[in-house]
Amino acid sequence: MNDSNAEHKRPRPLKQRTVLTRSSRFGPNMTPMVDVTLVILIFFMASASIAGYEWFLRAELPEVQDPDLVSSGFSLPTPMLRADLFLQNDRILIRGIGDEPRTLDVVIGQLKGMDPSATSGLILSIRAADDVPYWAIVALHDAAASMSMRVAIR
Amino acid sequence: MRARSIISNEGSGARINVTPMIDVVMVLIVFYLLVGQLAIDRKAAIELPSSSIGIEETKEQDPIIIGITADGSLTINGNAIDSNRFAGEIAGMHTRAPGTPIRIRAHRDAPFGVVRPIMNQLRDAKISRVGLVTEQRP
Repeated sequence: MNDSNAEHKRPRPLKQRTVLTRSSRFGPNMTPMVDVTLVILIFFMASASIAGYEWFLRAELPEVQDPDLVSSGFSLPTPMLRADLFLQNDRILIRGIGDEPRTLDVVIGQLKGMDPSATSGLILSIRAADDVPYWAIVALHDAAASMSMRVAIR
Repeated sequence: MRARSIISNEGSGARINVTPMIDVVMVLIVFYLLVGQLAIDRKAAIELPSSSIGIEETKEQDPIIIGITADGSLTINGNAIDSNRFAGEIAGMHTRAPGTPIRIRAHRDAPFGVVRPIMNQLRDAKISRVGLVTEQRP
């Protein structure tokens, strides 16, 4: 009896695996398919998270009767900075913040260097020439918004 | 009839029934494929400017999205619209649902001369506040 048990427990020789294994029940081996499917799933989940998320910057579109007056939406006179963007020699310059025109990078640095308690609630009124790229307006808007300023685009 | 279990004891050894898992995974893949395709359609080849700050869209809001490509082509909620019809269309939408937020998805390289007329037409339609859609800067 002991001999028969030992014979029964002897390891079987290794067999080459096939997609269709003949074990207790006949059926396809699902493991490779599950592997591939999970890899595809992880790929889609990762690519979805890598794709940049979107958000938005709030901008006011005031009615402009007087070019120097921003009237709509503001019930009380609010301290206002003006920025006029224009292109000169392929450089984006800003007139209005400071005495003479400065480059976009300088003005953004200037805005970010301001005291946040002083800029909170301040309105930055942006005006731009036709050839100024949209990203420059957004960059200036971004800098102003990061200093808790409100932005109006004329 | 017997209740089915995930681990089947039929035959010589226990085996895990992977069929429900494959079903779920397949559904997830189809979901991601569809969402990805819809996102591509909605974005309509507009490369957005990036910003370090912004407000995330809440799920309750269903904004009117105005797309502006670099060459000035316009879309409203993904549907192309002629610039001559834009003012009337946006005014009508705003009149029907006055509280609906407006979002501008303009191409980062679009000259402001293309974007300004749109803003002017929004202003004429008594829309005084918009959101400029940007991509989150990493």
